[in-house]
Amino acid sequence: MNWTPVFAGVTKSQGLSKDEKEREKGPKMLAPDNTPLPNEIINDIIARHPDKTGDVLSVLEEIQQAHPLKYLPRETLDYVACRMGVSRSQVLSVATFYSFFNLAPQGRHTVTVCRGTACHTRGSKQLLDALKASAGFHEDDEAGSATSFTTPDFGMTIRTVACFGQCALAPVAAIDHEIYGHVSDFKLKKLVSAIDKGTAS
Amino acid sequence: MRIHDLDGLHDIRRTGLMKLLPGKPRIGVGMGTCGMGNGAREVFQALERELERQGVDAQLTPVGCFGFCAAEPLVNVHIPGLPLAVLGEVKPDDAAAIVQAIALRQPPLEKAICKIEEWDHLTGHVMYGRGLPELPHWNEIPFFKGQKKIVLRNCGLINPEDIEEYIAVGGYHAFYQATQKPNVTEIIEEVKKSKLRGRGGAGYPTGVKWDLLSKTVADQKYIICNADEGDPGAYMNRNEIESDPHMLIEGMLIGAFATGASEGIVYLRAEYPLAVQRLKRAVAEAREFGLIGDNVLGTSFCFDIKLVEGAGAFVCGEETAMIESLEGRAGRPRPRPPFPAQKGLWGKPTNINNVETWCNVPVIVARGGAWFSEIGTAQSTGTKVFSLVGKIRNTGLVELPLGTPLKNVIYDIGQGSPGGKRVKALQSGGPSGGCIPADNFDVTIDYESLAQIGAIMGSGGMVVMDEDNCMVDVARYFVEFTHSESCGKCIPCRAGLDQALRILKKITGGQAEESDIQDLEELGQMIKEMSLCGLGQTAPNPVLTTLRYFRHEYEEHLRARRCRAGVCEDLFLSPCENSCPLHMRIPQFLELTKEGRIADAAEMIWLDNPLPGSTGRICQHPCESQCRRKTVDAPLNMREVHRFISDQVFGGPLLDEVRTRLAGRRMAATGKKIAIVGAGPSGLAAGFYLALLGHDVTIHEAREEAGGMLRYSLPQYRLPKDMLSKELEIIAGLGVTFRFGQKLGAGVSLDVLEAENDAVFLATGTWKAARAGITGEESPSVWHAIHFLEQVARGEPTQIGQKVVVIGGGNAAVDSARTALRLGCEVTIAYRRERQEMPAIAEEVTDAEAEGVRLQFLVAPQRVVTDKRGRVTGIELMRTKLGDYTLDGRRRPMSTSEKIVVPCDNIILAIGERPDAEPLRRFGIHVRENDTAAADWVTYETNRPRVFAGGDLVTGASNVSSTMATGKAAARAIDHILTGQDRLPALLGTFDVAQAVPPEPEGGARNVSEEMPAAQRRANFAEVMRGLTQAQAAAESGRCLRCDVRETCSAKE
Repeated sequence: MNWTPVFAGVTKSQGLSKDEKEREKGPKMLAPDNTPLPNEIINDIIARHPDKTGDVLSVLEEIQQAHPLKYLPRETLDYVACRMGVSRSQVLSVATFYSFFNLAPQGRHTVTVCRGTACHTRGSKQLLDALKASAGFHEDDEAGSATSFTTPDFGMTIRTVACFGQCALAPVAAIDHEIYGHVSDFKLKKLVSAIDKGTAS
Repeated sequence: MRIHDLDGLHDIRRTGLMKLLPGKPRIGVGMGTCGMGNGAREVFQALERELERQGVDAQLTPVGCFGFCAAEPLVNVHIPGLPLAVLGEVKPDDAAAIVQAIALRQPPLEKAICKIEEWDHLTGHVMYGRGLPELPHWNEIPFFKGQKKIVLRNCGLINPEDIEEYIAVGGYHAFYQATQKPNVTEIIEEVKKSKLRGRGGAGYPTGVKWDLLSKTVADQKYIICNADEGDPGAYMNRNEIESDPHMLIEGMLIGAFATGASEGIVYLRAEYPLAVQRLKRAVAEAREFGLIGDNVLGTSFCFDIKLVEGAGAFVCGEETAMIESLEGRAGRPRPRPPFPAQKGLWGKPTNINNVETWCNVPVIVARGGAWFSEIGTAQSTGTKVFSLVGKIRNTGLVELPLGTPLKNVIYDIGQGSPGGKRVKALQSGGPSGGCIPADNFDVTIDYESLAQIGAIMGSGGMVVMDEDNCMVDVARYFVEFTHSESCGKCIPCRAGLDQALRILKKITGGQAEESDIQDLEELGQMIKEMSLCGLGQTAPNPVLTTLRYFRHEYEEHLRARRCRAGVCEDLFLSPCENSCPLHMRIPQFLELTKEGRIADAAEMIWLDNPLPGSTGRICQHPCESQCRRKTVDAPLNMREVHRFISDQVFGGPLLDEVRTRLAGRRMAATGKKIAIVGAGPSGLAAGFYLALLGHDVTIHEAREEAGGMLRYSLPQYRLPKDMLSKELEIIAGLGVTFRFGQKLGAGVSLDVLEAENDAVFLATGTWKAARAGITGEESPSVWHAIHFLEQVARGEPTQIGQKVVVIGGGNAAVDSARTALRLGCEVTIAYRRERQEMPAIAEEVTDAEAEGVRLQFLVAPQRVVTDKRGRVTGIELMRTKLGDYTLDGRRRPMSTSEKIVVPCDNIILAIGERPDAEPLRRFGIHVRENDTAAADWVTYETNRPRVFAGGDLVTGASNVSSTMATGKAAARAIDHILTGQDRLPALLGTFDVAQAVPPEPEGGARNVSEEMPAAQRRANFAEVMRGLTQAQAAAESGRCLRCDVRETCSAKE
């Protein structure tokens, strides 16, 4: 004999529906600057890596860091392939394989919730869900995935990391690479609203 | 600056020692990433300011991490001539006092946790000084006891950004020694002799690997350091590089020299920015000092190290995938053979070792392979660094000789779970590893023993799980991880893990069928056997080990749709509801109370729990331990809010309203007859629900009145009997018939009941007292708690004397003690463990103490002392001390030789009760060894069809809500069988409750009811707790964070 659950929690989405969101914001904001990086910057980066074909990862890492929106535009990938003499498919394969690479513009601030085992045992899944909900993420939203979500105004990207290696501080979140340990959902919401107001360190 | 020879090395060593022991005070601040995450940078700055402000001449320097993460930020202070003092949990505010003490050439003892008099850096030795007897040695405090620091030999003691300090403690000397060997095979022989095995997880002998590479002839060979520490939960490699990067470089230098490689690559996670930065700096320093580059140390040996940052792909930890990645491609593994030693990076012979493996090498060369192989076990030599994290008090990096028993790590070093919850399991080895149940914690930590029980050592991540972690969820978590990290090259891994994840989600979502477990098991075996690389071959381990050791949790999710740990959100309303044995809809009745909808609240409470007046007073309130409000201030006082509602009902016109509403819910008569034996809380609960479900219910009770232990054991001052009678009237009013004086086996026969009814429910409780087995136990002045309490409850006179000793630590012991006190006795409770381990409700113990009950801990009864005439004059107690941890995570009370006699004239034994199994056995009902009835744990059906059993009879002595819960569950199952439908959920109904989550925690501090002052209450049996006022109940309800309303975006993924 199998029971069905007698009670289950009511799931209440915090965010607005898609239509409501559109209405509220008016026309969709574009990324502040979604142009590819100037070729000179890319050339400089490539020049620092003499071991050409083997350095595709390092080159892409540096280019992404150099981009104000911390991502790799398609044009940039094509240019890198051409410049380094590797196939476009190889560059694209690398850029899509590693979780470090972003193929879409990132928010001005990044909040990273650690999903390591120690953090998981101390409730990081609930932290992440609550944070994404309060930022307006919808399950059916095209603008995000299970692991990354950028607010429509590009103010903030919420993402996960496999493990920060800060397990003793679990659960851990990072705001713009600054690590915060033992975070609760209240503490995290406070920290996030502080960056919204520009008062976070 | 270049070092050309031994003299050059010695020169630098002298300079370095001047930094390490500068002849003036030196303050080292632990500046690993985790130290800085805890505020080490602010502490460093505060110390800097204070040194300047107070004009104190001392050397302030960053050091690495000493490993005790739970005590971060760590600061060590050395005053010349004295031991090094290690300070823990240092705050910027402590800086002034620390500097003040240093100015007086005194170590700041206030924050000191231990001292180091001398330190063996294994390649060098440092004498700090002797003294400070008030401080324990570092390896005397629990966290470090039993640790042996070989890999972490310098971590936390030297400045990782200064090569001179590394050289000062003997660094690069082993490499120099290696270059002086006439033949490089000698180095490889030493490594072989050491029996060092790969520390990345697989445990392949390092010397054998090196030998292969050195024998391969090629124009170019590579060595690689695998620092892509991708196992979530493991961070030892990060700390090793952050705290002592040169030991890695030296290890690689020796490896390259021995195998003939000319290029080394460190593949390091980009997620470790500080490690990247420190290693870059260390490589630059080593190059500057002529330790890497061309013609190293004046020899013909040329070697360079390159650092590559990994980009977040777990599979790149697999050596062939890492090589693919280094060649600029996606990290997809290649089939082996060819092995990297034959054909590796760019087709050249390559050797890959983990960070920690490399770090062991300099010590092996300096001390010899034979020395190293004596540490650990015969097959697993040396030490291993483990990251001890999760639900453990002392988190941190622990370095232990292999072969150490696991329980030492969990209980001695780690000190168990914080908050006193029971440790349930250890997850060892990350996504490739397995879950080890607490029952197996006597396993020793070595490659073979761990493999034998289905786990692996892996990279050394040890994540501790307690009773709040769901093992099915853990399996799901890891499969979610490996599923998303699978490179997709081979089908068993890519598609198999996808299927496994689907099944696991079905189970955690409450949608699974019984066949799913078997499918999962078969799928796991298939993935294990058929995958191409280590990722797939080991990915099913978390599933297979949880299925092996925690199958009951899977079955509970499947059959009862229940997640006991309160993790799988689809299976419950809120954490409090989930932890409540009766599954009261707590957040909803709180909301109704807050809104002043008292009648609705009362109806809901009664539907969930037919004895709220009783549970509202005496429940163990497991809900509080799960309440999320405790992360803000204190848990909700849910017990007293539902008591408030019941008091409202019994105190006025609401009573009729509730009775009418409940009667209105009664379903149409089914014509089915059900007999219940035992009118205790379990039988009453079953009767209540079965009557509401429309059945004809008769309860047969041996005593003269209903209530069971509630009436005959619970003292009046906790549970007034007139209130209990009112609760019983409601149940009787729903059509339940009571027949008193009917004892099973005497007045009532099970055969007859079975013949005359459609179903029978047995709930006869535990009324037999356990014996202590001590001499003199038979004396009439030695009581058993339940007999004593029953006599008092019946109002019969008791000859309890003047001085009473109560033996035991449970609720019966405390109830007996407080009752005897009220009868005018002087009372002592003697318990064999310590206070925090008393099973009694903590508030009751506090109240007893306030009333004047003495508590004596760590004593065990030996014999009853009598005078010549046989009268009891005292009890002899043996003092116990807490010994080793047992596998249940508690320390075993051990006898000492010290005996004491506590004078007394009466003794009450409160050491447990058991059921009377005789009548059951006679009727052919299966009975377990401890005399409890064997019944299905979901339906409570016994081996005799349509005969059910519940309550303490099945579970052994428990508590009111747990025992009622069995009655409720049995009622659901009986109704299901008799009607063919699962009708209980419909009976409980739904209520229209506001669904708003407070944006900020509201309601202020926790409300607690007023207590009668201790001085007044000790002389009578008047009720102690007066109950919440209306204002308090409303305020308390408003404190709820409404976990039942999920602020989530992906409840259903």
